[in-house]
Amino acid sequence: MRTKEQYTNEMNKLGRIGIMITLVLLFAVPTIFGIYHNAIPTFGDFFKAGIGLLVLYIPIGISEVLIYSPLLGSATYITFITGNIMNLKVPVANNAQELMNTTKGTEESDVITTLAIGVSAMVTIVMIALGVLLLVPLEPIMTSETVKTASLYVLPALFGALIIGLLRSTGEVQVKGKLLAGIFPFVLLLIVNLVVMNTSAYSGVLLIPIIPITIGCAYILFKKGKITIVLKDEMEVKE
Amino acid sequence: MDYFEIVNSRLLYILVSVVIIFVFFLAFYFAKKAWTRALELGYKKTDLLKVLKSTVYATIVPSFAIVIGLFALAPILGNAWPWLRLSVIGSVAYELVAAETATESLLGAGTSLENASTQDLVTVMFVMTAGISSGLLTLLFFGNWIQRTVTKMGSNRKSFGFVALECFMIGLVATFLPAFLTESIVGVLVFFTSVVITISFGILVIKFKKVSWLRDFILAFALLGGMASSVLWTNLLG
Repeated sequence: MRTKEQYTNEMNKLGRIGIMITLVLLFAVPTIFGIYHNAIPTFGDFFKAGIGLLVLYIPIGISEVLIYSPLLGSATYITFITGNIMNLKVPVANNAQELMNTTKGTEESDVITTLAIGVSAMVTIVMIALGVLLLVPLEPIMTSETVKTASLYVLPALFGALIIGLLRSTGEVQVKGKLLAGIFPFVLLLIVNLVVMNTSAYSGVLLIPIIPITIGCAYILFKKGKITIVLKDEMEVKE
Repeated sequence: MDYFEIVNSRLLYILVSVVIIFVFFLAFYFAKKAWTRALELGYKKTDLLKVLKSTVYATIVPSFAIVIGLFALAPILGNAWPWLRLSVIGSVAYELVAAETATESLLGAGTSLENASTQDLVTVMFVMTAGISSGLLTLLFFGNWIQRTVTKMGSNRKSFGFVALECFMIGLVATFLPAFLTESIVGVLVFFTSVVITISFGILVIKFKKVSWLRDFILAFALLGGMASSVLWTNLLG
């Protein structure tokens, strides 16, 4: 049997090769399309069209990797290649970890997450392909008010389902009082939303300060003994 | 050739299909590697099939929302390009904003790609790809280091590193939750409907062994029920 290190190295290598090929293929699409139509853009046009977007999305892209990697382990590679992270991959990963009762940061959790995300990515690709194939017959249904309304509320429905899982830890280790770490950032953003503006369009950017603030709060609470780590077998002995 | 003939051309469909087929097989290969490793670690096939089943059901419902994104993008960018953009490094929220921002930066406010040249269209395609690629580039160069750090954090179960790992999800919820709890009353009701469904199914599964299979589908049911309830709440509250 391979060691944990061997497996992790294999997945890292596979992920990096996968990313390289994906990036080459992705940029090949507009390049070949542009060459065929004799319409390759000038650098000036690219800069003019892209500067606003790139200034905003490059930091978000970098911070998303740092934020989601601890949750996803080796599956981070295929998650970022296929996208739809917060609205699909993170909940699916969480669901699989809960189902198999794995402990975060372990190889078991990593493997189960990768399995779930790989399968989820395949299902989404098939669903979108079906959407393209059935674009015409599906249009009346997919553009109906009922379906449009329901699709606006994916995130509240997802968070409603996920919040219960947050109340308990899976696996052999329980972090008691961990929700306390979220109180300050939650209240802070609640005030911003009530008094200043709705932040839903800026959630991606807000993750950049909020995650470190949450971890900072957790650190203070951990040092003060308000957040504690309890191994499940220790709990059973006490009970 | 008019704009929609170009964006729905066979060439673009072929190019896009090649990328999507590659990514599909890459996802399959990742899943296969994880499956093999899970068996090596001692998981039973029946447990892994449970994960597979639950994942498929939990994926179908949010995927509908992504397909709806396709219907929003198709009138602007045709069918082939949105198909690629939503399947690879896709994000429904990003693509529409990216297409509009790039077009308006290039051609001026209130303009549409339909009246633009093919070169402008290709420029927008390049910008949309570049904007979403920074995450992949970060992973390419720092992925290995990040993975090693995470493994180290999780290995000492008495250290703060383990607490930090558990707190990433709490930080995510603390960021997203206040926005939609204050955005509309329907959002709040959808959230609580989903909570109630999750708790109800959880209790059922614990109390009645006969329906323990429901455990694999709680996320899917909560999502479906929550989203479906939005229609009811919208109709009731106007």
